[in-house]
Amino acid sequence: MTRRSWLRSTRLALEVRQRIPPLHRAAFILGALIVGLAICVAILVGRGVGLASIYEEFIAFTFFKASGVSTVIVQSTPLVLAGLSASLAFRVNYWNIGIEGQLFMGVIGATLVAIFDVGPESIRLVLMLVAAIVLGAAWALPPALLKVRLNVSEVISTLLFSYIAFYFVLNQVYGPWQDPKDKFPHSEQYDAIERLPPIGWEQVHYGIVVALAAVAVVWWLVERSRFGIQSRFVGTSPRMALAIGLPVGAIVASSAVLSGGMAGAAGFVIATATEFRLTPAMAAGYGFSGIVIAFLAGNRPFATLIVACLMGGLYVAGESMKVFYSLPDALVGLIQAIVVLSVTASEFFVRYRLRLAHYRGA
Amino acid sequence: MNAALELQGVHKSFDGNPALVDAFFSAAWGEVHALLGENGAGKSSLMNMVCGLYAPDTGSIKIDGRAVTVDGPLAARGLGVGMVHQHFKLVATMSVAENILLGHGKGGWRRSLRSVRGEIAGIGARIGFTIDPDARIDTLSVSEQQRVEIIKAMIGGAKILILDEPTAVLTDDESAGLLTQLRLFAQSGACIVLITHKLREVFSHADRVTVMRGGQTVDAGRKPSDFTPEKLSALMVGEARVYQIGEHLPPGQVRLELKQLSARRDNGAVALDRLNLQLRGGQVYGLAGVGGNGQAELAEVLMGIRAPKSGVLELEGGPVPPASSGRLRRHGVAHVPAERYLYGLAGDLTVMENFVITHLKDGRFGAWGWTDRRAFERETDAAIAAHNIQGARAATRARLLSGGNAQKLVLARELSGEPGVLVAHSPTRGLDVRACAAVHRALREASRAGTAVLLISEDLDEVLSVADRIGVINRGRIVREYDAPADRQEIGRFMVGHA
Amino acid sequence: MEFATFWLAATPLFAVPLIAAALGLILNERAGVLNLGCEGIMLCSALAATAAYLETGQSVALGLVVAIIAGAVVALGFGIFVVILRTNQVVTGITVVFLGSGLTGLIGVPWTNVALGGLQPIHIPGLTGIPVIGRFLFGQDPVVYVVLALVGVVSYALYRTRIGLKLRAVGENPQAADADGVNVEAYRLFAVMAGGALIGLAGGYLALASAKIFVFDMTQGRGWIAVALVIFARWMPWRALLGGLLFGGIEAVIPRIKAEGLPIPQYFLEMAPYAVTLFVLIYAAIRLRAGQDAPKALGVPYVRQDRR
Repeated sequence: MTRRSWLRSTRLALEVRQRIPPLHRAAFILGALIVGLAICVAILVGRGVGLASIYEEFIAFTFFKASGVSTVIVQSTPLVLAGLSASLAFRVNYWNIGIEGQLFMGVIGATLVAIFDVGPESIRLVLMLVAAIVLGAAWALPPALLKVRLNVSEVISTLLFSYIAFYFVLNQVYGPWQDPKDKFPHSEQYDAIERLPPIGWEQVHYGIVVALAAVAVVWWLVERSRFGIQSRFVGTSPRMALAIGLPVGAIVASSAVLSGGMAGAAGFVIATATEFRLTPAMAAGYGFSGIVIAFLAGNRPFATLIVACLMGGLYVAGESMKVFYSLPDALVGLIQAIVVLSVTASEFFVRYRLRLAHYRGA
Repeated sequence: MNAALELQGVHKSFDGNPALVDAFFSAAWGEVHALLGENGAGKSSLMNMVCGLYAPDTGSIKIDGRAVTVDGPLAARGLGVGMVHQHFKLVATMSVAENILLGHGKGGWRRSLRSVRGEIAGIGARIGFTIDPDARIDTLSVSEQQRVEIIKAMIGGAKILILDEPTAVLTDDESAGLLTQLRLFAQSGACIVLITHKLREVFSHADRVTVMRGGQTVDAGRKPSDFTPEKLSALMVGEARVYQIGEHLPPGQVRLELKQLSARRDNGAVALDRLNLQLRGGQVYGLAGVGGNGQAELAEVLMGIRAPKSGVLELEGGPVPPASSGRLRRHGVAHVPAERYLYGLAGDLTVMENFVITHLKDGRFGAWGWTDRRAFERETDAAIAAHNIQGARAATRARLLSGGNAQKLVLARELSGEPGVLVAHSPTRGLDVRACAAVHRALREASRAGTAVLLISEDLDEVLSVADRIGVINRGRIVREYDAPADRQEIGRFMVGHA
Repeated sequence: MEFATFWLAATPLFAVPLIAAALGLILNERAGVLNLGCEGIMLCSALAATAAYLETGQSVALGLVVAIIAGAVVALGFGIFVVILRTNQVVTGITVVFLGSGLTGLIGVPWTNVALGGLQPIHIPGLTGIPVIGRFLFGQDPVVYVVLALVGVVSYALYRTRIGLKLRAVGENPQAADADGVNVEAYRLFAVMAGGALIGLAGGYLALASAKIFVFDMTQGRGWIAVALVIFARWMPWRALLGGLLFGGIEAVIPRIKAEGLPIPQYFLEMAPYAVTLFVLIYAAIRLRAGQDAPKALGVPYVRQDRR
């Protein structure tokens, strides 16, 4: 058979795999991760970063030195919460893109409590956490209701709410809450009592307790509560969920609100452990990071913890890249985007089989 | 003379599951050739190769004696093949002319639009169809849409016209008209392939018949008059259908009653027209009717996902505001929906999750805050054993079950709570004979246990063999009711509305 | 009077990027592809336009052409993912936004924060001087008129050509289009690229005409507003023009209000476009029931042999 006739008598057919062996899936995802990371390394090398220093910054320091590990843990704490936030919403197919806005509202809640010295000092931090969760959740509520009641796309509405929150923050830090001491656009520093205390090892603080507790709560919610199994049906088969009488709207809306509350908690941790105040830059990147973490972790709570720690390493290394090689902040987002794209692409090879179909016509 | 269409040695598998095994087929010019077989026998898959939608794994296709490669719908059209699919391939938001332009026409937009309008009128006049070329598809009735499909194929120059179950959506009158017209078209020299599972059509309208079963050709190219109906039916089904009718018990109390219930379709047309219906405990009520007479909407109203326009729904003697799936379920209404993977099962979740989801509040499965995973597994395993669900373990994804076993899983779940009412809509569609029998047995047993069963089916034989009481639905109303056994011919007449 | 003149005159400057991007998105979505990466594509093409402008002797035309090409190329990448590899369109789209932001942040440094001469308005003696509407109608830069014409072109192409017919069919019912011999993947890729080119034009215009500077993340959600605009426009080009003028008018009024010194807090003013977008979305959902007009296969990857 000549080459030409072979070409004419074959056709590439796409086939949906019915059974996907777990090893097969793992192999493809691992392969994709390697390809994605290789592209990232190539970009860094292209920007003049040597391979040795990539190893030093991204692996040796972040994961094998006490100071590095502790920095990574500190950085990972809010990322765990952001990842949980995204995963709570994504489980029910609710695309909460406005995590940064909800995070900001969380910080505003905490800062309100701090500025006005609400409640006794002994429970001030707890009140700040509660205020952060409540405001974050409240900010997620209108888009959730719009989605459930009017079918307004949450992708756009949550994002718009995020922009509105951001300009509100600007209004506060350039206006009523501007730091009277240095006149910079950020709020006054929190008092010592309003900061998360260190646990006594390196720089690690009690935010880690908040994050681990959140992982446990989310695990309980999705794996052990009735709500968890119901929301799985809402996420994978919404029409069936409606037909068998599940309260689909309520499940979607409450997932969205929980997601907002979790984002608020992330804001609380950043504000009380790292920044000690409200600043306009403090939420940058956490929204997309949360999405990336939830996506890579497949919305599973313990996987979220692990992926968030890896992302924490990326953040820390990105920070050194910024300092030593004057690479921009955007680097972290770029690396995340490349990794996500390679993993989504691998899904294609997991889900479909390409087959050459032959005709024996001629 | 060469055969119009000849297929040999066709194999096709989907992800390792064979759909066609060494299938063959041959039809001549000038004839109506019936391709007979049950659901899932491989008829449509085989013909989808001829129209270029599927590529055979191996095998050859000859058209008018010439070996051809059909590597796409365009190639098929170039070879003079047209196919009218069971689910019409029309863009609902576009006009008739635009739909036809999608595949045809040359030159500028205006000119081609004008010429397509002319052709629609021309072909319409030739075969006795009239259709407004500027009407939007979603304003047309199903039979009109089918005409659009046929005109589309003919404008494409089809000499070989394949129709997949064309009468499934038509009334008897419309079916007879269509089949007569197809016969005329065949007499003008064309080749008509009629995919069907209706024996009656084979005997009344086909010149020759090929029978498929389980992906294989079991009998090819003989005249219908060579067969008795029993012989042909046995070839098609493989083993004779055996139904154990069982005794009819005296009916119990009324569990569900619909009074003057009206509902509309999505496009606003009347679907249910002041329908009255009583379902009694201990009784299987079989609702017979040609598809599209309001059965789907009735099932949706009873599922609580379609709001009726007016009328009353009473459960156990008390009125219930319908259109809430949760409320109906709490009142003991269970469902076996027609579209299994849309409303019945979440394919991506496990057998266990699919089994427990409607029973979480039973008390069997732990509290709100802490569900009992051991009970999940225990009860699921018990249901798998009790309903003989093959290939299933608690952790198996529901999507991987075969059609029959998936349906058994739905039944196991729906019957597990001992519901007061069970609504089963086309519960055996696409199942093999053994699975059908299992489904029928389950429905009978449920009714013997006191459940009021509503069996909505387009398969009259199924209704006749399973039901204690039979109603006929036509244009959204129940036009006649019988106690079993009832006269098949008479029911058939009421189904199509002549009597 | 003067307020109205300046406001109207400035409106197209803000409206054009929204209109061009919305037109591009209409092409995408009519073919069934939900392109949430619009923001990222705009950023990439804004940088491409700026770089081309600065590196080639300040040619605006060349800058815009490069922006259009850049838009089409980035969109092609997006299209390969969502059309060929059938990835989730929401996740992929969002990722493209951050890819665009990261990429322009990483490689855009030399061209960032450089003031550009950019595109200048035309002046037609006699007409431009007409009070209030003169500058609005006759004192704009050439691209404004080009985009106006493009609205007509896209509308014509969608509804009066066979390519447009096939493109719409692919977005409404790919199964039907496939059975009629329309290559679904090819048409979707084509639509994504053509749409990407228009989004590229929007990004280029944003840098060279609206802002006359490239800054990091300069799109400020305009890509997302364009996505909302498409819903408001119910996927029809002429309505996108009207919606774009409305949104552009709101953006244009902000600097005017600031200049007039009206006592409205600055940051609440800057919130306005987003808040208005939100209200428009709600209005579209309640009054227009815009969801009904969405292409039926929007966001759904097409696989021919999808058995079960």
